[in-house]
Amino acid sequence: MDKSIEDIKDEALKAIDAADDRQAVEAVSTRYIGRKGVITQFLRNLSNLPKEDRPGAGKRANQVKELLQKAITDALSAIDARAAGDIEIDVSLPGRSAQRGYLHPVTQVTHQICDIFRRLGFDIAEGPEVETDYYNFQALNFPKDHPARDMQDTFFVSDTVVLRTHTSPLQIRTMEKYKPPLRIIMPGKVFRCDSDLTHTPMFNQVEGLMVDEHISLGDLKGILTVFVHEMFDEQTGLRFRPSFFPFTEPSAEVDILCVICRGEGCRVCSHSGWLEILGSGMVHPALFENVGYEADRYTGFAFGMGVERIAMLKYGIDDIRKFFENDMRFLGQF
Amino acid sequence: MKASLSWLNQYVSIDMNASDLADTLTMVGLEVDSVTDRYEYLNTVLVGRIVEIVPHPNAQRLTVCKVDTGNRLVPVVCGAPNVKVNMLAPLALPGTQFLDGTVLNKNTIRGETSEGMLCSEVELGLGKDRSGILSLKGSLEVGRKLPQALSLSDPVFEIDLTPNRPDCLCILGIAREIAAIQKTSLAYPDIPVMEAEGEIADHTSVTIEAPDHCPRYAARLLTGIAVAPSPFWLQDRLNSVGLRPINNIVDVTNFVMMETGQPLHAFDFDRLAENRIVVRTAAMGETFTTLDGKDRKLTDEMLMICDGEKPVAVGGVMGGLNSEIEKTSRRVLIESAYFSPPHIRKTARTLGLGTDASHRFERGVDPENTVTALDRAAQLMIEVGGGKLISGVIDAHPKKISRNKVTLSAGRTNRFLGTDLSQKTMAKLLESIEFKVDIEDADTLTVVHPSFRVDVHRPVDLMEEIARLSGYNDIPTTFPPISAGTKLPSRDLDVRDNILRIMTGFGFTEAINYSFMSELSCDKLRLPADDFRRRMVEILNPLTEDQTVMRTSLIPGLLETMHRNASQQVRDLKLFETGKVFINNSLEELPDEVEILAGLWTGLRKPVSWHSAPEDCEYYDIKGVVEGLFQALKIDNVKYSRMPNDLCFYMRPGHTAQVHVNRSAVGWVGEINDQVLKNHDLKQTAFIFELDMSRLSPHMPELQQTRSISKYPAIARDITLIMNIGIESGEVLIKIREFDEALVESIQLFSVFEGGPIPAGKKSVSVRITYRSIKETLQDEAINQLHRDITDRLMRAFQASLPV
Repeated sequence: MDKSIEDIKDEALKAIDAADDRQAVEAVSTRYIGRKGVITQFLRNLSNLPKEDRPGAGKRANQVKELLQKAITDALSAIDARAAGDIEIDVSLPGRSAQRGYLHPVTQVTHQICDIFRRLGFDIAEGPEVETDYYNFQALNFPKDHPARDMQDTFFVSDTVVLRTHTSPLQIRTMEKYKPPLRIIMPGKVFRCDSDLTHTPMFNQVEGLMVDEHISLGDLKGILTVFVHEMFDEQTGLRFRPSFFPFTEPSAEVDILCVICRGEGCRVCSHSGWLEILGSGMVHPALFENVGYEADRYTGFAFGMGVERIAMLKYGIDDIRKFFENDMRFLGQF
Repeated sequence: MKASLSWLNQYVSIDMNASDLADTLTMVGLEVDSVTDRYEYLNTVLVGRIVEIVPHPNAQRLTVCKVDTGNRLVPVVCGAPNVKVNMLAPLALPGTQFLDGTVLNKNTIRGETSEGMLCSEVELGLGKDRSGILSLKGSLEVGRKLPQALSLSDPVFEIDLTPNRPDCLCILGIAREIAAIQKTSLAYPDIPVMEAEGEIADHTSVTIEAPDHCPRYAARLLTGIAVAPSPFWLQDRLNSVGLRPINNIVDVTNFVMMETGQPLHAFDFDRLAENRIVVRTAAMGETFTTLDGKDRKLTDEMLMICDGEKPVAVGGVMGGLNSEIEKTSRRVLIESAYFSPPHIRKTARTLGLGTDASHRFERGVDPENTVTALDRAAQLMIEVGGGKLISGVIDAHPKKISRNKVTLSAGRTNRFLGTDLSQKTMAKLLESIEFKVDIEDADTLTVVHPSFRVDVHRPVDLMEEIARLSGYNDIPTTFPPISAGTKLPSRDLDVRDNILRIMTGFGFTEAINYSFMSELSCDKLRLPADDFRRRMVEILNPLTEDQTVMRTSLIPGLLETMHRNASQQVRDLKLFETGKVFINNSLEELPDEVEILAGLWTGLRKPVSWHSAPEDCEYYDIKGVVEGLFQALKIDNVKYSRMPNDLCFYMRPGHTAQVHVNRSAVGWVGEINDQVLKNHDLKQTAFIFELDMSRLSPHMPELQQTRSISKYPAIARDITLIMNIGIESGEVLIKIREFDEALVESIQLFSVFEGGPIPAGKKSVSVRITYRSIKETLQDEAINQLHRDITDRLMRAFQASLPV
C-alpha cells in the first residue's frame, strides 16, 4: 500500500482542477476512477490490509470515488458551458442604435398650439398658399391703394394673385363655407418679402377665429389667457394693447411677460419686460358683410401668431433662418 | 414718427417721466418703439480746460492748445479768437457726429496733430453764437460729458404708428392724446390776425382740373421775404425730431407739418409762369425733375401742380427743381391742400418716392385744417423771413369731405366689450379726444368725429376708442360659452399627422424647405420642355435668384438640404418633407396646390459602430420604407413596376420603380440620376421617394376591421421556380396573391439566384408560402395538394420550370 486514500483524493481533486478541457478531465477520470484506475487498484489491494481495517477503508474508498465522480461531472459541465459560449460580455460597449427621426420644431410647436385650441373645441382648417388679392386683402377690409397694405411686404404673382401674407384669408374662406357658431384654428405657411435675423420670406402662422352670438372682447382675453398659460405656464402674465388690423375692430396686440427675464428686462425683450406674440381683435363687421353673415346678430374674435417666433422664445433660437436650413445638427436637437 | 418731450410740452403740460409716458402712449395704441435722448450725440463732447496755448508754427491764425480732460492733455488745433488759458470749453473727441452729419476725425492740420475740436454754440447745435468757442461758465467738472455737465436732456419718442392714425403724425396729435390721458388741457398755437396788403385775387389764381385727386387746394401769397438760415429756436425744433434745417421758408413748412400734420409746399412765386396754379393730371410719359434732382417719368394717373405752362410739383409727393425756393426768392406762394389718399399712394409707389408729405397724404390729413395750417405757416414765415402778407386766401374746395353722425348704443357697446361703463363715462372718454357727443336717450349717443380722425366711421370704431381710453387691461377677462359648433372635416390632416409619426418612427427627420425654388431647378432635374413641373408659378418680385418661382417638386429642396449638410460633413441623412407643390393652371386664377410626401436616404444604412462593417444604403432600403409606410397606412394592393427609361429624368434608369395603388400611379421610389447629382454638386448618391398624398387617402380604409386569429398550427412550404431573367421577380408574389387562396396566410420571397447551375438567361426565385386555416388543423395531404396546385399555376403563368 503506497498511498493513503486521503492522499489519492487530494491528488485527484488537484488534477481535476488543473484539467482545462474535456480530454484532460477524462484522462483524470480514467486514471483515478476508471476500471483500471487508482481507486479500483486501491480496492483490489484491500486484502493486503489487516482484516479489521478492511471494512472502514473500503467504505472510505467508495466515498472518495463518489466524490471524485461528482467533481469530474461538474468539471465537464463547466467546460461544456464554456464551450457553449456562455462567457461574460462587455456590457460597456455601445448598443445597436434604435434610430429615431425628429419632427421639425416648427411642426412640433404648431401641434402644441393646435392641440391647446382643439381642447377648447376648435376645429382645424387649411387653405391655399397662393391666394387671390380678394381673399388676402379686399375681403379682409384692406382696400386697394391703402397704406394698411404696407404693413405686409407682399410677393406678387400677378395684379390679382399674391402669395398669402397671412393665414387670415382662411377666415373668409371658412366663413363662406360654414355658418356660425364657428371655432376654427388655421395653421399654415405665409410669405413676405423680407429676410434678416428675425424675418424669412416664408414662415408659419396659426390663425384663430370664433364667431357666435354675444362674443365679447372680454371673451377674446379669456381664450388667449388660457392659451398663453397652456403654451408657457400659469405664471406668464399678459397684457392687451390697442393696435390696428384692417380686419379687426377693436384690435389688440398681446404681449406676454418676457419668458426669459420674467419682466425684469433683458436682451430678448429689448429691456421692455414684454414680448409681443399675438395680434388679435374683434372681427370687423365688414368681414361679416363680405361673407353674408348677419352683422347685427353675430360677433366674433380672431387672432394670429407666428409659429417660429414662439419656437424661438421656447427654445432660445436667435436666428429664424435656422428653421429652413435643415441642418441635422439643429433638427437633431428637437 | 418722432416726438421730443420739449416740443410736446409746448402744447400740453406733461406730468409723467419719459418712461411712464412711453408706457402710457403704448397702452393707448401709440406704440413707443424707443426713447432716446436727443443730446446723445454730445456724449463724446467733454468739458475741457485749456491749459496751454502756443501759436501754430505754420499758420498765422491758428493756435495749438493743450486741453485738460481730467485724465489727459489733448492737443487741439484751434482757430477761434477767444481761446484763453484756464477757460472751460466743450471739447469734441474724434467720432463725434454733429447735427449736420459730419463726423469728427483725428487730424493733422498743417503738420500739427489735433485730437479733438473746441466747439462753438452753433457747431454743437446749442445756440446761435458762432463768433468763437463756447465759454462754459460756472464750476463744471473737467472731463464730464457735456450733456451731464449742462443738464441737457430731451427724450425723443420714436412712435411706431399704425396706418389708421395719421392724426398722430404730428406733435399736436400726440399732445392731444396725452392731454386726454392726463385729463389736462391742450394749448393750440395762437395764430394772430396778420397785417396784410393788397388782394391775393389780383396776383394769382388756383384752377383745379382734377377734383377727384385734389378735393381742396388753398394758397397764400407773401412778398418781400428774405431767404436766410432759420433762427435758432426753429432749427432746434426741427433738429429735435431729426429734420435737418435748410432755410427759413422751407423750415417753416416742415415745422408746420410736424406741428399740425399738414404738409405744405412753398413755391418761388416769381418762377411760376403766369403767376398761377393749375392742378391737373400729368400727360402720359411726360417727364419732370423733382427737388432731389431726379428725372421722373409720369403717368396720366399722377396729379401735378402746374403753373400757367408746366408742372412745378408732383402733387402731395415732392416739389420740382424749377420752382424751388432760392436765396434770391422774394415772393412765396404757400400751398396747403387735401389730396385724395389712394391717388397719392399710387403715385408715390409708381415713382418709388415716399416722402414725409406723401406718407401723411396717403393716410389722410385733416381736411378741415387746410387753411389753419396755411395761416400758421404764413404767420411764421413773416416772423422769421420778414416780408408782408398779401390779403386774402385762395381756398379752392370743389369737393367737400363730409363727416357723418354715428349712433352708438351704450348697452351694445358694453356687451361687445364685456364692460360695464356708464353712458356718461363713454361720452366723457370720446369728448376727451374732441369727439362731439349728444346723448339722445338712456342708451343712445350720437357722435360726430373730429375732422382729423379720418379712421372713424362705424359704431365699432367708437367702441374701440372707448375701450382703448378706458384701458384694455381693465376689461374683465371672461370665457365664452362653447356651444356645439360646425365640425370641419379633418381626414387629410389626420393622414398627414399619421405620416409624420410613421416617418419619424422609421428614423426619418422632418425637413421644411422654402416653398420657392429657382427657375433653373427644372433644368437641374433634367425635366423635358413639356413636363408638367415646368408649369411654374412665377413671383414678380422675388427676393433672391434662387427663389423666383413656387416649387413644383420637393426634390430640389431636399437635394439642397443634402448639399448644405454635406458641406458640414454630415453625410448620412434620412430626411422627409411634406409640403405643397404648385402647378400653374391656365384655366384657373390660382395654381393647383398638391401636397407631396418626399423622402431622401443617403450615406450609411446604419450609423458606424463596432457591431458590423459600415454599409451604404441602397434601393431596397428606401423601398422598404415605402412598403412599411403603406403597411402602416393600411393601404393594400400596392404595385411596384420598373419606371420606363424615358420617364427617368432625374431618377436612375433601371433603379427606379413606379408605385401604383389599386392600379393608380401615386409616385415613385429609386435612386437619383448621376447627372442630377452632379448638377447639384453632390458627390454621393441618394435614394428618394415621392408620393402624392392626396392620392393616398382614398385608398385608406375609413374603418379598420381586425381579422380573427387562428388557433391552429401553420404549415410552411417552399417553391423554387426557374424562369426567364426578364420577368420581374415581384410578379410571383403578386400572382400568388391574385390566386386569393383562403388558406395562404403569408408569402415570403427568400431567394433570387442567377448563374451556375441555373442555365444562362434564367434565374431561380424561391418563395415560402405559409398555410393556415381558421377552422381546423391542416392535414399534410390537403396542403401538399394545394401547394402542388399553386406551383403548377405559377409554372404556367411564368413558363417556369422546377429545379432539376
